[in-house]
Amino acid sequence: MKTPRDILFARHENVEPKLDAIRLSVARELNNKETREQSFQEFFASLFLGCSKNFWDELIFPCRRIWTGLAAIWILIFVVNLSQRDPAEMMARKSPPPSPEMIMAFRQQEKLLAELIGSNEPRIAEPPKTFSPRPSSERRFETLMT
Amino acid sequence: MLAVATAEQLPVQQAREGNPEAWDTLFRRYQLPLYVYVFELAHNEQTSLDIVQETFIAAIRHIGGLRDDEKFGGWLFGIAHQKVIQLWRKHGGKEILFDEIPEPPDEFENSPDDLLIRREQEIEFMNLLNQLPSPQRSVLLLHFVENFSLEEIAHITETQIGTVKSRLHYAKRALRKLLEEKK
Repeated sequence: MKTPRDILFARHENVEPKLDAIRLSVARELNNKETREQSFQEFFASLFLGCSKNFWDELIFPCRRIWTGLAAIWILIFVVNLSQRDPAEMMARKSPPPSPEMIMAFRQQEKLLAELIGSNEPRIAEPPKTFSPRPSSERRFETLMT
Repeated sequence: MLAVATAEQLPVQQAREGNPEAWDTLFRRYQLPLYVYVFELAHNEQTSLDIVQETFIAAIRHIGGLRDDEKFGGWLFGIAHQKVIQLWRKHGGKEILFDEIPEPPDEFENSPDDLLIRREQEIEFMNLLNQLPSPQRSVLLLHFVENFSLEEIAHITETQIGTVKSRLHYAKRALRKLLEEKK
Protein backbone atom coordinates (compact mmCIF):
# COMPACT_ATOMS: atom_id res chain seq x y z
CA MET A 1 0.00 0.00 0.00
CA LYS A 2 1.24 3.47 -0.87
CA THR A 3 0.17 6.95 0.00
CA PRO A 4 -0.80 9.32 -2.84
CA ARG A 5 2.40 11.29 -2.16
CA ASP A 6 4.56 8.19 -2.72
CA ILE A 7 2.80 7.44 -5.99
CA LEU A 8 3.11 11.00 -7.25
CA PHE A 9 6.79 11.32 -6.38
CA ALA A 10 7.64 7.91 -7.80
CA ARG A 11 6.06 8.90 -11.11
CA HIS A 12 8.40 11.88 -11.48
CA GLU A 13 11.66 10.60 -10.05
CA ASN A 14 13.27 10.44 -13.48
CA VAL A 15 13.02 14.22 -13.89
CA GLU A 16 15.36 14.87 -10.94
CA PRO A 17 18.52 15.38 -13.08
CA LYS A 18 16.71 18.08 -15.07
CA LEU A 19 15.58 19.73 -11.87
CA ASP A 20 19.16 19.65 -10.59
CA ALA A 21 20.29 21.41 -13.76
CA ILE A 22 17.61 24.06 -13.27
CA ARG A 23 18.70 24.56 -9.68
CA LEU A 24 22.31 25.16 -10.81
CA SER A 25 21.23 27.60 -13.51
CA VAL A 26 19.15 29.52 -10.96
CA ALA A 27 22.17 29.60 -8.62
CA ARG A 28 24.01 31.52 -11.35
CA GLU A 29 21.12 33.99 -11.43
CA LEU A 30 21.62 34.44 -7.70
CA ASN A 31 25.03 36.01 -8.32
CA ASN A 32 23.47 38.48 -10.73
CA LYS A 33 23.91 42.00 -9.28
CA GLU A 34 20.54 43.18 -10.58
CA THR A 35 18.74 40.30 -8.86
CA ARG A 36 20.44 41.08 -5.56
CA GLU A 37 19.61 44.77 -5.78
CA GLN A 38 15.98 44.02 -6.55
CA SER A 39 15.82 41.64 -3.60
CA PHE A 40 17.26 44.29 -1.27
CA GLN A 41 14.86 46.94 -2.58
CA GLU A 42 11.91 44.64 -1.97
CA PHE A 43 13.22 43.87 1.49
CA PHE A 44 13.33 47.54 2.47
CA ALA A 45 9.97 48.26 0.84
CA SER A 46 8.47 45.38 2.75
CA LEU A 47 10.11 46.56 5.97
CA PHE A 48 8.71 50.07 5.51
CA LEU A 49 5.22 48.78 4.75
CA GLY A 50 5.42 46.40 7.70
CA CYS A 51 6.44 49.21 10.06
CA SER A 52 3.68 51.47 8.73
CA LYS A 53 1.13 48.73 9.21
CA ASN A 54 2.38 47.98 12.74
CA PHE A 55 2.28 51.70 13.55
CA TRP A 56 -1.31 51.88 12.33
CA ASP A 57 -2.41 48.62 13.94
CA GLU A 58 -0.82 49.20 17.33
CA LEU A 59 -0.87 52.95 17.85
CA ILE A 60 -3.61 54.51 15.74
CA PHE A 61 -6.31 51.92 15.17
CA PRO A 62 -6.88 50.73 18.81
CA CYS A 63 -7.27 54.36 20.01
CA ARG A 64 -8.95 55.69 16.90
CA ARG A 65 -11.70 57.49 18.88
CA ILE A 66 -9.13 59.30 21.01
CA TRP A 67 -7.14 60.30 17.93
CA THR A 68 -10.31 61.49 16.21
CA GLY A 69 -11.27 63.52 19.30
CA LEU A 70 -7.82 65.07 19.47
CA ALA A 71 -7.95 65.97 15.80
CA ALA A 72 -11.40 67.56 16.26
CA ILE A 73 -10.14 69.60 19.23
CA TRP A 74 -7.14 70.81 17.22
CA ILE A 75 -9.37 71.83 14.32
CA LEU A 76 -11.70 73.65 16.75
CA ILE A 77 -8.76 75.51 18.34
CA PHE A 78 -7.49 76.50 14.91
CA VAL A 79 -10.91 77.78 13.80
CA VAL A 80 -11.41 79.76 17.04
CA ASN A 81 -7.94 81.22 16.78
CA LEU A 82 -8.58 82.25 13.19
CA SER A 83 -11.95 83.86 13.94
CA GLN A 84 -10.63 85.93 16.89
CA ARG A 85 -7.91 87.72 14.97
CA ASP A 86 -8.11 91.57 14.61
CA PRO A 87 -9.44 92.35 11.10
CA ALA A 88 -7.48 95.67 10.89
CA GLU A 89 -4.29 93.83 11.65
CA MET A 90 -5.21 91.32 9.02
CA MET A 91 -5.84 94.14 6.49
CA ALA A 92 -2.59 95.84 7.42
CA ARG A 93 -0.80 92.58 6.90
CA LYS A 94 -2.54 92.05 3.64
CA SER A 95 -1.98 95.64 2.19
CA PRO A 96 1.18 96.00 0.18
CA PRO A 97 3.89 98.59 1.15
CA PRO A 98 3.44 102.14 -0.39
CA SER A 99 5.09 102.73 -3.71
CA PRO A 100 7.72 105.55 -4.22
CA GLU A 101 5.19 107.48 -6.36
CA MET A 102 2.74 107.54 -3.46
CA ILE A 103 5.44 108.77 -1.09
CA MET A 104 6.34 111.57 -3.53
CA ALA A 105 2.68 112.63 -3.91
CA PHE A 106 2.30 112.65 -0.14
CA ARG A 107 5.33 114.92 0.31
CA GLN A 108 4.07 117.30 -2.38
CA GLN A 109 0.72 117.56 -0.63
CA GLU A 110 2.49 118.28 2.66
CA LYS A 111 4.53 121.04 0.99
CA LEU A 112 1.40 122.58 -0.57
CA LEU A 113 -0.36 122.60 2.77
CA ALA A 114 2.58 124.37 4.38
CA GLU A 115 2.53 127.06 1.65
CA LEU A 116 -1.20 127.62 2.15
CA ILE A 117 -0.74 128.14 5.85
CA GLY A 118 1.87 130.79 5.07
CA SER A 119 4.98 129.62 6.65
CA ASN A 120 6.69 128.86 3.44
CA GLU A 121 9.96 130.36 4.72
CA PRO A 122 11.93 127.79 6.36
CA ARG A 123 12.41 128.37 10.02
CA ILE A 124 15.88 129.49 10.93
CA ALA A 125 16.93 127.69 13.92
CA GLU A 126 18.45 129.80 16.66
CA PRO A 127 22.07 129.06 17.15
CA PRO A 128 22.70 127.29 20.37
CA LYS A 129 23.95 129.46 23.20
CA THR A 130 27.51 128.93 24.06
CA PHE A 131 27.94 127.91 27.59
CA SER A 132 31.09 128.83 29.39
CA PRO A 133 31.48 127.31 32.79
CA ARG A 134 32.09 129.80 35.59
CA PRO A 135 32.43 129.37 39.32
CA SER A 136 29.11 129.58 41.20
CA SER A 137 30.37 132.49 43.46
CA GLU A 138 30.81 134.70 40.37
CA ARG A 139 27.23 133.99 39.26
CA ARG A 140 25.94 135.01 42.68
CA PHE A 141 27.86 138.35 42.42
CA GLU A 142 26.26 139.11 39.09
CA THR A 143 22.82 138.58 40.55
CA LEU A 144 23.49 140.92 43.43
CA MET A 145 24.76 143.65 41.08
CA THR A 146 21.62 143.58 39.02
CA MET B 1 8.80 8.35 1.17
CA LEU B 2 10.34 11.79 0.91
CA ALA B 3 11.17 13.24 4.28
CA VAL B 4 9.32 16.52 4.70
CA ALA B 5 11.64 18.97 6.48
CA THR B 6 10.04 21.18 9.03
CA ALA B 7 10.03 24.91 8.45
CA GLU B 8 12.38 25.48 11.39
CA GLN B 9 15.13 23.46 9.70
CA LEU B 10 15.02 25.48 6.51
CA PRO B 11 17.65 28.23 6.13
CA VAL B 12 15.21 30.89 4.95
CA GLN B 13 16.90 33.71 6.84
CA GLN B 14 20.30 32.84 5.34
CA ALA B 15 18.70 32.71 1.89
CA ARG B 16 17.23 36.15 2.51
CA GLU B 17 20.77 37.37 3.22
CA GLY B 18 21.85 36.03 -0.18
CA ASN B 19 23.62 32.87 0.93
CA PRO B 20 23.87 30.58 -2.18
CA GLU B 21 24.13 27.41 -0.09
CA ALA B 22 20.92 28.28 1.72
CA TRP B 23 19.14 28.75 -1.59
CA ASP B 24 20.52 25.46 -2.83
CA THR B 25 19.15 23.70 0.26
CA LEU B 26 15.74 25.30 -0.19
CA PHE B 27 15.52 24.52 -3.89
CA ARG B 28 16.73 20.97 -3.38
CA ARG B 29 14.02 20.52 -0.78
CA TYR B 30 11.19 21.86 -2.94
CA GLN B 31 12.18 21.10 -6.52
CA LEU B 32 10.43 17.74 -6.83
CA PRO B 33 7.24 18.63 -4.88
CA LEU B 34 6.90 21.82 -6.95
CA TYR B 35 7.46 19.94 -10.18
CA VAL B 36 4.91 17.28 -9.23
CA TYR B 37 2.33 19.93 -8.39
CA VAL B 38 2.91 21.92 -11.57
CA PHE B 39 3.10 18.86 -13.83
CA GLU B 40 -0.14 17.37 -12.55
CA LEU B 41 -1.85 20.65 -13.40
CA ALA B 42 -0.06 21.53 -16.65
CA HIS B 43 0.54 18.00 -18.04
CA ASN B 44 3.63 19.03 -19.97
CA GLU B 45 7.18 18.28 -18.90
CA GLN B 46 8.95 21.21 -20.53
CA THR B 47 6.29 23.71 -19.46
CA SER B 48 6.46 22.38 -15.91
CA LEU B 49 10.27 22.62 -15.83
CA ASP B 50 10.03 26.20 -17.11
CA ILE B 51 7.50 27.10 -14.43
CA VAL B 52 9.69 25.58 -11.70
CA GLN B 53 12.65 27.61 -12.97
CA GLU B 54 10.61 30.82 -13.14
CA THR B 55 9.31 30.14 -9.63
CA PHE B 56 12.84 29.77 -8.27
CA ILE B 57 14.00 32.98 -9.96
CA ALA B 58 10.94 34.85 -8.70
CA ALA B 59 11.62 33.50 -5.20
CA ILE B 60 15.17 34.91 -5.25
CA ARG B 61 13.94 38.26 -6.52
CA HIS B 62 11.01 38.62 -4.15
CA ILE B 63 12.24 36.92 -0.96
CA GLY B 64 12.24 40.39 0.60
CA GLY B 65 8.44 40.33 0.45
CA LEU B 66 8.17 37.16 2.55
CA ARG B 67 7.43 38.16 6.14
CA ASP B 68 7.07 34.83 7.89
CA ASP B 69 9.97 32.46 7.26
CA GLU B 70 7.90 29.48 8.36
CA LYS B 71 5.58 30.05 5.43
CA PHE B 72 8.30 29.76 2.82
CA GLY B 73 6.89 26.53 1.36
CA GLY B 74 3.38 27.92 0.96
CA TRP B 75 4.77 31.14 -0.45
CA LEU B 76 6.83 29.23 -3.05
CA PHE B 77 3.84 27.09 -4.06
CA GLY B 78 1.77 30.28 -4.28
CA ILE B 79 4.20 31.68 -6.87
CA ALA B 80 4.05 28.44 -8.85
CA HIS B 81 0.26 28.37 -8.62
CA GLN B 82 0.02 31.89 -10.04
CA LYS B 83 2.27 30.89 -12.93
CA VAL B 84 0.06 27.87 -13.68
CA ILE B 85 -3.01 30.12 -13.69
CA GLN B 86 -1.24 32.52 -16.06
CA LEU B 87 -0.55 29.55 -18.32
CA TRP B 88 -4.20 28.47 -18.24
CA ARG B 89 -5.36 31.99 -18.99
CA LYS B 90 -2.96 32.16 -21.91
CA HIS B 91 -4.57 29.00 -23.28
CA GLY B 92 -8.09 30.24 -22.57
CA GLY B 93 -8.74 28.03 -19.53
CA LYS B 94 -11.43 29.33 -17.21
CA GLU B 95 -12.27 26.38 -14.99
CA ILE B 96 -9.95 27.46 -12.18
CA LEU B 97 -11.99 30.59 -11.72
CA PHE B 98 -15.47 29.14 -11.82
CA ASP B 99 -16.41 26.09 -9.84
CA GLU B 100 -19.36 26.01 -7.53
CA ILE B 101 -19.50 23.15 -5.08
CA PRO B 102 -21.69 22.75 -2.02
CA GLU B 103 -20.48 23.11 1.56
CA PRO B 104 -18.79 20.02 3.00
CA PRO B 105 -20.29 18.09 5.93
CA ASP B 106 -19.03 18.84 9.43
CA GLU B 107 -16.91 15.71 9.75
CA PHE B 108 -13.74 16.27 7.80
CA GLU B 109 -10.65 14.09 7.43
CA ASN B 110 -7.59 16.26 7.28
CA SER B 111 -4.80 13.79 6.72
CA PRO B 112 -3.16 13.16 3.35
CA ASP B 113 -2.40 9.58 4.32
CA ASP B 114 -5.97 8.56 5.02
CA LEU B 115 -6.06 7.27 1.44
CA LEU B 116 -3.89 4.22 0.97
CA ILE B 117 -3.61 2.86 -2.53
CA ARG B 118 -2.66 -0.61 -3.59
CA ARG B 119 -0.16 -1.14 -6.38
CA GLU B 120 -2.83 -2.34 -8.83
CA GLN B 121 -4.89 0.78 -8.11
CA GLU B 122 -2.16 3.29 -8.90
CA ILE B 123 -3.11 3.75 -12.53
CA GLU B 124 -6.78 4.22 -11.63
CA PHE B 125 -5.77 6.70 -8.96
CA MET B 126 -3.80 8.77 -11.44
CA ASN B 127 -6.57 8.56 -14.04
CA LEU B 128 -9.14 9.79 -11.57
CA LEU B 129 -6.86 12.54 -10.34
CA ASN B 130 -6.60 13.79 -13.89
CA GLN B 131 -10.36 13.62 -14.35
CA LEU B 132 -11.02 15.92 -11.41
CA PRO B 133 -11.79 19.57 -12.19
CA SER B 134 -8.65 21.70 -11.95
CA PRO B 135 -9.63 23.52 -8.71
CA GLN B 136 -10.25 20.23 -6.90
CA ARG B 137 -7.10 18.68 -8.37
CA SER B 138 -5.03 21.67 -7.29
CA VAL B 139 -6.29 21.50 -3.71
CA LEU B 140 -5.87 17.75 -3.53
CA LEU B 141 -2.31 17.92 -4.87
CA LEU B 142 -1.31 20.56 -2.34
CA HIS B 143 -2.79 18.37 0.36
CA PHE B 144 -1.06 15.19 -0.84
CA VAL B 145 2.30 16.60 -1.87
CA GLU B 146 3.10 18.90 1.05
CA ASN B 147 0.34 18.25 3.58
CA PHE B 148 -0.48 21.94 3.65
CA SER B 149 -3.17 23.03 6.08
CA LEU B 150 -6.52 24.34 4.85
CA GLU B 151 -5.39 27.88 5.65
CA GLU B 152 -2.17 27.45 3.70
CA ILE B 153 -4.00 25.97 0.71
CA ALA B 154 -6.48 28.83 0.83
CA HIS B 155 -3.58 31.28 0.84
CA ILE B 156 -1.78 29.53 -2.04
CA THR B 157 -4.86 29.28 -4.23
CA GLU B 158 -6.24 32.66 -3.08
CA THR B 159 -9.62 31.22 -2.13
CA GLN B 160 -11.75 30.99 1.01
CA ILE B 161 -11.05 28.25 3.55
CA GLY B 162 -14.63 26.99 3.16
CA THR B 163 -14.09 26.60 -0.57
CA VAL B 164 -10.85 24.69 -0.01
CA LYS B 165 -12.57 22.44 2.50
CA SER B 166 -15.37 21.68 0.05
CA ARG B 167 -13.04 21.00 -2.84
CA LEU B 168 -10.86 18.73 -0.74
CA HIS B 169 -13.81 16.85 0.68
CA TYR B 170 -15.48 16.14 -2.66
CA ALA B 171 -12.21 15.27 -4.39
CA LYS B 172 -11.32 12.80 -1.67
CA ARG B 173 -14.79 11.34 -1.68
CA ALA B 174 -14.61 10.82 -5.44
CA LEU B 175 -11.22 9.13 -5.13
CA ARG B 176 -12.36 6.88 -2.31
CA LYS B 177 -15.47 5.90 -4.21
CA LEU B 178 -13.44 4.92 -7.24
CA LEU B 179 -10.96 2.93 -5.20
CA GLU B 180 -13.77 1.05 -3.49
CA GLU B 181 -15.41 0.27 -6.82
CA LYS B 182 -12.18 -1.16 -8.17
CA LYS B 183 -11.69 -3.53 -5.20
